[in-house]
Amino acid sequence: MNSLEIKNIVFGYHKEEVLKNISFSVRRGDFLGIVGPNGAGKTTVFKLISKLLKPWSGEILYNGTNLNNISLQKLARSVAVIPQILETPFSFTVEEFVSMGRFPHLGRFQSLKKQDYKIVEEALLLADVSHLKFHRLSELSGGERQRVILAQGFTQTPQLFLLDEPTAHLDITHQVGILDLIKRLNKQNGLTVIVVLHDLNLASEYCDKVILLKDGKIFKAGSPWQVFTFNNIEEVYKTTVVVKENPISSKPYCFLVSEEEKQRR
Amino acid sequence: MSKRHALIFISLTLMLIGIFLASLTLGAGSLKIGQVISHIIHPGISSMEGDIIWKLRLPRIILALLVGAGLAVSGAVLQGMLRNPLAEPYTIGISGASAFGVSLGIVLGVGTSLLPVFSAGAAIITMSLVYIIACRKRFSASSIILGGVILSFFFSSCVRLIFSLAKTEKVHSAILWLMGDLSCADPILIKIISFIILGAIALLTIFSRDINILTLGEEKATYLGINIEFLNKLLFITCSIIIGAAVAASGIISFVGLIIPHLMRYLGGADYRFLIPASALAGAIFLTLCDTLARTVILPLEFPVGVITGIIGGVFFLIYLFLSKTKKVF
Repeated sequence: MNSLEIKNIVFGYHKEEVLKNISFSVRRGDFLGIVGPNGAGKTTVFKLISKLLKPWSGEILYNGTNLNNISLQKLARSVAVIPQILETPFSFTVEEFVSMGRFPHLGRFQSLKKQDYKIVEEALLLADVSHLKFHRLSELSGGERQRVILAQGFTQTPQLFLLDEPTAHLDITHQVGILDLIKRLNKQNGLTVIVVLHDLNLASEYCDKVILLKDGKIFKAGSPWQVFTFNNIEEVYKTTVVVKENPISSKPYCFLVSEEEKQRR
Repeated sequence: MSKRHALIFISLTLMLIGIFLASLTLGAGSLKIGQVISHIIHPGISSMEGDIIWKLRLPRIILALLVGAGLAVSGAVLQGMLRNPLAEPYTIGISGASAFGVSLGIVLGVGTSLLPVFSAGAAIITMSLVYIIACRKRFSASSIILGGVILSFFFSSCVRLIFSLAKTEKVHSAILWLMGDLSCADPILIKIISFIILGAIALLTIFSRDINILTLGEEKATYLGINIEFLNKLLFITCSIIIGAAVAASGIISFVGLIIPHLMRYLGGADYRFLIPASALAGAIFLTLCDTLARTVILPLEFPVGVITGIIGGVFFLIYLFLSKTKKVF
């Protein structure tokens, strides 16, 4: 069954078209990666499917219902969105911050109940940040902070998880740690995941399906082996690459080649 | 509510009662605490002491409590809404506007009793202008700050223009008003102000959890199901009404909206369910304390209360910045 269906969407800022007729669908339990060069429209697609922006034309269906007909609050009960930049300017504690994920499930005069606290505890445990519960956000390292942000997403009890560059600015330990965690939820709980990634090799390693965007259009969509061929990558990124198989996971891996090496050949 | 928050609320309540009674006893013609309490319990007895308490001091203290609470709460809310640690009631352009309104009133030669009307009128016009500017830009935080700061500068230039044209003695009385003054505590004014400020604080308290979410940024708040434009408008209008009422009643009192929320955030954290009521109590205490000092320190003369809040607040804030250098201020 399709969790999300994007049909012929066109969108732009001011008068300039950024996305030109994009269509794709995401099935329940998919792990979809969206890649492409800077300015290709990755984050714009992301903001359209999370209802932050409205398409100029075309429609987006979530579980068969047009996004226009779903209120923001109702959507937030089953879709968790982790944007690229998240402000955490105030000195909230980790527990206070993570509990905010329950907000869409509460009525105006309702407060958190036992069951909500249980969900918060589970999310903290899942993201491996229970020990930081009473720390203030300003005291956390970059990797811990990202885990706490994910934990907040988990408390929304989502069916669909949207992440924009969740591994930006993290070291390899945390990059792998964060994506492993999301992958585990995808496999065990059937969580549908759409993730925007800059790093082609991380996308190749974790995603079952990949969409490669170029100038606001889908250049190629399919499995990592179908999308990450040196032809496709060289045409979209205008950069010479060599694609080989990762000996452990058998996924495609892109090697970059410097100008100096190219001239030596 | 955590133990820490309960402790803070209990201390604030005790301090509030203390400053309330102290302020009633102090002033030109000191009263004994026993006299004060007996007059409060038996309001009907007419005597000189009774008149001092019921007609002079009590209205003024109530006005100080209300204005202090209102300014502190609107400061706390604006800091969260605009995600800017320097946001306070006057960042959104109200100060410049009411200064302009009052200066205009004085130059036109209207009586002092009409000055609050000029002040409130100018404040309302400015709020509407900021509101219109912000609406054109999807009512985001940055457009509110931008509109407010621009109008602030514009109006302060207008004030200087008026001062440079007006007679010196008129300028003097305008300046006194601009420094904040709680002495025109008229019973009807107090009734109106208390209705507005208490109602607005109650409304903001209902939306305290939404403000918590809003501090994560407008994008994330949308993803958590909040209608940003509606919430921003609601908070902006409510804060503007509080500020408009406070300015009309007491002129321009600086710093309360800035330091009180920061202090409360430092003591009890950033959760607005705590921050709004705590700021209300602390703001009320602080302004009453300052006003008591303003009218007792150089008897029989009085300072404008805005001078006291500025000096105490400034020194206090500097100490706070020095002490909290390891922790983030915001």
